Amino acid sequence: MMSTVGLHGITKSFGETPVLKGVSLDIADGEFVTLVGPSGCGKSTLLRILAGLEAADAGQVRIGGQDVTAMRPAERNLAMVFQSYALYPHLSVAENMMTPLRMRDLSPVQRLPILGPLAARAQHKAIRAQADEVAETLKITQLMDRKPGQLSGGQRQRVALGRAMVRKPVAFLMDEPLSNLDAALRVHMRAELSELHRRLKATFVYVTHDQAEALTMSDRMAVMMHGDILQVGAPDRIYTDPDTLEVARFIGSPTINVLPADAGGDGSLTLLGVRLPAEMCQNRQPVAVGLRPEHLTLGDAGRFAGTVRHRENLGADVYLHLEVSGAEAPVVLRAAPGAGASLGLGDAVRFDFEPGDMRVFDASGTRLRQPSTIREVA
Amino acid sequence: MQSRAHLWFIGPALFLMAVILLIPILIAGTLSFTDYSLGNSGAEFVGFENYERIFTRTTYEKMFGATFRYVFVVVPLTVGLGLGAALLIHSLGRIGDLYKTIYFLPVMAALIAMAIVWEFAFHPTIGVINATLERGCGTFLESWAWYAKGCERTFPLWLTDRDYAIWTVSFIGVWQGFGFNMVLYLAGLTSIPRQLYDAAEMDGATSGWDRFRLVTWPLLGPTTVFVVTISFIRSFQVFDMVEAFYPQGGGPSKSVYVMMFAIYEKGIQQNLMGIGAAITVVFLGFVMVLTLIQRRLVERRTHYV
Repeated sequence: MMSTVGLHGITKSFGETPVLKGVSLDIADGEFVTLVGPSGCGKSTLLRILAGLEAADAGQVRIGGQDVTAMRPAERNLAMVFQSYALYPHLSVAENMMTPLRMRDLSPVQRLPILGPLAARAQHKAIRAQADEVAETLKITQLMDRKPGQLSGGQRQRVALGRAMVRKPVAFLMDEPLSNLDAALRVHMRAELSELHRRLKATFVYVTHDQAEALTMSDRMAVMMHGDILQVGAPDRIYTDPDTLEVARFIGSPTINVLPADAGGDGSLTLLGVRLPAEMCQNRQPVAVGLRPEHLTLGDAGRFAGTVRHRENLGADVYLHLEVSGAEAPVVLRAAPGAGASLGLGDAVRFDFEPGDMRVFDASGTRLRQPSTIREVA
Repeated sequence: MQSRAHLWFIGPALFLMAVILLIPILIAGTLSFTDYSLGNSGAEFVGFENYERIFTRTTYEKMFGATFRYVFVVVPLTVGLGLGAALLIHSLGRIGDLYKTIYFLPVMAALIAMAIVWEFAFHPTIGVINATLERGCGTFLESWAWYAKGCERTFPLWLTDRDYAIWTVSFIGVWQGFGFNMVLYLAGLTSIPRQLYDAAEMDGATSGWDRFRLVTWPLLGPTTVFVVTISFIRSFQVFDMVEAFYPQGGGPSKSVYVMMFAIYEKGIQQNLMGIGAAITVVFLGFVMVLTLIQRRLVERRTHYV
């Protein structure tokens, strides 16, 4: 079954407020695509439109090449995992997982309590068998008779996944499914979801505001802001080669350092009083230079000076927050723990970076690229 | 050494509960075994005589008849209409507030005043109800035998005919009471998470009935148990309407002689404290049983979290 998903020119407003401004996105069969963006960027609305829970003002939703814009959610054969899991609290885990199949495969009469199972014993058995099979894969067989209220957050998460899996949908839609879990479990579930995706070979559309989830799990990620997709691409591509300053700032933790600089119009720029070669700057203009913390290196020969104002020790790395004259926000630098340990608050340090690691943006936030490396961007 | 502070915390509540609840119930229980009258210096112990009367005399048979008729008409209808109205209003936007107010008005209104209005409405000659019914005479409605009979002779004396009185009173009870249940159900409906409806929609619950069966009705379970219990207790307590319509004797041939009115008539009007106390104890027994059933249901079936 082909399960490509296509969104074409989707617009949506709530009253006067535009939420989506003509968003288009194509998702290949079996791909894990993440919609990532700050809250209020319209990513959840886009997912709900894809699911059919919300109607778009304009635009088209296609699944497997077929226009499904006017179809009911259940007819689209998608499954959704909700942030709050949305398990039916009065039904046991097994009944929760059987619900989509009961709704699809049984007639209203066969769904009647007591009478239904008597009249259609074979169907009920088949449905139970399918639910058991999925429970086996998710290792929740021992929970089948419990109510959702008796489960932990991680277990509920699994049951919600199970309910989505039983009917073998065309694509899985996930709306911030990990955000209600504690930090350790979230990291664990990230790996488990990736593993599940590899095993099911199904299309996953995953919405999150957590860029770490987007970077770790997805084949491709779409960064959304203000109702628009700003950039689509593989996670490492988006991380290393952002199109706009907003994308660069949103992806990466700690955030990228942005320093004001002046482009000279002769293929160079002046950053904090230091002149650097910068082929991308062909016009005289103020620019912003983005530098990832891991690209800054400490060293006595460094061309830039700063004062340590704060140390963040994460064990494997130490992040130093440096006060640098000429920069409004502190510059964050990643140091090896050995190098960081000897430094105290208030110490003066020198640092430097490779000019190739600079990401230069113009005043409007658009990336300025090396003339030779301009590529077609998806 | 263990501190005695806890006694000071629960003390005031315990004291008040004893003084205004437990002791009066004990006194009523004691009085129900005597022939005490207010003003008498003493009273004779009469054993179970009062209770024997309650369960053998026709007056009290009528009392139970009237009470149960009222309760078993009013409870299902107020619960059903309350749920229906709540579902309809919940699906509306702004206008919903208007309907909410309209349906809740009878709950807030003083029932004595409302009873006078209904008395006029049901008046056999000048009442608006029979006047309206007479308009229908000569139309297709006459094919209904009951209606034809009404046109031929006269429409019922709703409040003073012993075949109709209790049902008319029950009708007013429904009119007065369902707004309260509606408000309780509305509160229950707002507490149902929206994502459950989204999940139901994704799972294929496409019709409104499917969504009601899968999400709304089960999640209203705790509300329903509470609403049914409170409706039962409120229906058992009906008094002011009966007192307003039939200050003497509890309606045509005692057909509206409900329990609360009986307690009032025996204990206060006729100063037969013993028998009044005995009816009160029976009444408390009913309420107690209902409350126990509610507790079991709440703990067993609707305890989700």
